[in-house]
Amino acid sequence: MRDLNAPANPLETLAYIIAQQIHDHSIVYIGTGIPMVAGILAKKTHAPNITIVYESGGQDPIEGDMPWSVGCPFTWRKSPTTMEMSYSFAQCYNGYVDMGFLGFAQVDMYGNVNTHMIGKDFHKPAVRMTGSGGNNDLSSLTENMVLVGLQSPDKFLEKVDFITSVGHLTGGNSRREAGLIGNGPAAVISPWGVYDFHPTSKRMRVKSLTPGVTFDIAQQLTGFELLKPEGDIPDTKLVTPEALKIIRTDVDPRGVFTTMPT
Amino acid sequence: MAKYLYNEEAVANLRLSDTSVLDRLVDFESARAAHLKKEHAKKDKRMSLAEAVATYVQDGDIMTDAGFSYVRTPHQAFNEVIRQGKKNLQMIGAPNTNQSFFISYGLVDYSHNSYTGAEMRGIDKSYDRALKAGKVKILSEWSHGGVAQGFKAAQLGTPGVCSKQMLGSDLVRYNPYLQVIQNPLKKDKDPVVFVPALYPDVAIIHCHVADKYGNGYIYGPAVNDLAVAAATRKLIITAEEIVPENDIRYNREGQIIPFFYADAVVELPFGAVPGNMPGCYYWSRQWWEKIMRFGGVSDENMMILLNEWIMGTKNQFEFVEKLGGAKWIAEARRQTKAAEGDNEDIDFSYEEYTLKHDSGLYY
Repeated sequence: MRDLNAPANPLETLAYIIAQQIHDHSIVYIGTGIPMVAGILAKKTHAPNITIVYESGGQDPIEGDMPWSVGCPFTWRKSPTTMEMSYSFAQCYNGYVDMGFLGFAQVDMYGNVNTHMIGKDFHKPAVRMTGSGGNNDLSSLTENMVLVGLQSPDKFLEKVDFITSVGHLTGGNSRREAGLIGNGPAAVISPWGVYDFHPTSKRMRVKSLTPGVTFDIAQQLTGFELLKPEGDIPDTKLVTPEALKIIRTDVDPRGVFTTMPT
Repeated sequence: MAKYLYNEEAVANLRLSDTSVLDRLVDFESARAAHLKKEHAKKDKRMSLAEAVATYVQDGDIMTDAGFSYVRTPHQAFNEVIRQGKKNLQMIGAPNTNQSFFISYGLVDYSHNSYTGAEMRGIDKSYDRALKAGKVKILSEWSHGGVAQGFKAAQLGTPGVCSKQMLGSDLVRYNPYLQVIQNPLKKDKDPVVFVPALYPDVAIIHCHVADKYGNGYIYGPAVNDLAVAAATRKLIITAEEIVPENDIRYNREGQIIPFFYADAVVELPFGAVPGNMPGCYYWSRQWWEKIMRFGGVSDENMMILLNEWIMGTKNQFEFVEKLGGAKWIAEARRQTKAAEGDNEDIDFSYEEYTLKHDSGLYY
């Protein structure tokens, strides 16, 4: 049983902020981890009519316990259908998916994502990670992507060590010119801020910051020059006590994704 | 001398001196010849797991991971492949999490990588170590969707498909099979990736039921297995239960692998243990935590675990005994029924395995 009185931790904050991006009645494609918490939280709060889609083929499951994998039974619990993987991604290409949510290990100033390796040498990386999985497919095809991860200068980089998934590539019109579908990343969300992309240069820009985080702090947590929006930077709306309670009692009661690693 | 034209930038980036090693995965002619040559008569193909693996998994084969990492994956048949010490394998799959076990035993020379790891339970440190030590070499980097399209292209009966996935990314710079070409329909520049049809040598697919001829029925996500079954040169069907042909004809609808793809049929109850078999049993969460956390620490740790569970068991029944026997079966069945909404919800709390705490329980 989780402590219901503890202040929100960064993962719960993250889940709430992501959930706020989800519009009711939309179709959302959810990757493993925090995006799952956000999707289910949205469904249990302001967006009860969304349809959640998962990459191993689950469509519109009835919620149960927190899924532990994008292939687990909770992602296709009483789904009207389960789709083969190739068809599942095709839904993004064909324009049925409004928004996709994915994690990253590194992200760059144009929203390109790395989940392959840390280090410059493919043959001798400092750390080899998972590889793409469905990350590239969603980023290549989905109308609007939201990228989710932790923020530090070695995670928010001018150039990622390996482009697993294309965001806005080299900025400007380069994503379209490379032949990709959809608008690319709409937002990057970390526990410290919500970032969007400048409409023409496609460089990452501050949209709102977690209360207490200034532009200078956000900049120090970033390995490239962040763009500043016009006017005052709004505070990110923090998780409400009601939403926090729902996360802890209903969405992720065992803290599978929303307790801090020890 | 390689049979096909490969993406030269990727060949250079991957430092492949002899590209003929790439050929068989995309060799349609030899796959078609293999399909023509295999037994087309509707015959009883039942045999033991040991015989099926000995006959149809050969050294040097391109083998597929199947199911989805820990969902309906033929773990117990994979264990037999390891016990028989097959060598020089290439592994492909989307995901290909389970290649890591073969790599630990030195059975795999080459990986066609899409995803190796266990999602929230972490990155696969054994795979990281094996790659750095040169125990295994990556021949191509894929997205899940790219591999899925390659298998699907084979099932569709086409040389390949034009994809909008992987464009612009480093995947096309580290995948010799992919070529970026112009969409011939478009007046303006419109790059697409040509993804060739993929033909593995051997696949083992675990089904819920099968008849003796090899008609196999899958419940829950098929993932890529229907396409893989059509593409692969050799196919071993393992099943929780062998049923009369009429059970398939009259009672099963939806995801069926036709009998003529199958070379061998093996009755293998608990064949997906310690993974999840939809409708049958839940995965062992602690087992996977142990692999990722204890096994992740060092190769020595990993081999202690794998030797205990794979070499230390003769078959799936001994494996289930180690997990907790009848008690494990009852819990795992109850859990999966509840997870799928086919029974009352239950509390999914359990004692998580950590390096500091081992309850000894696997449910």
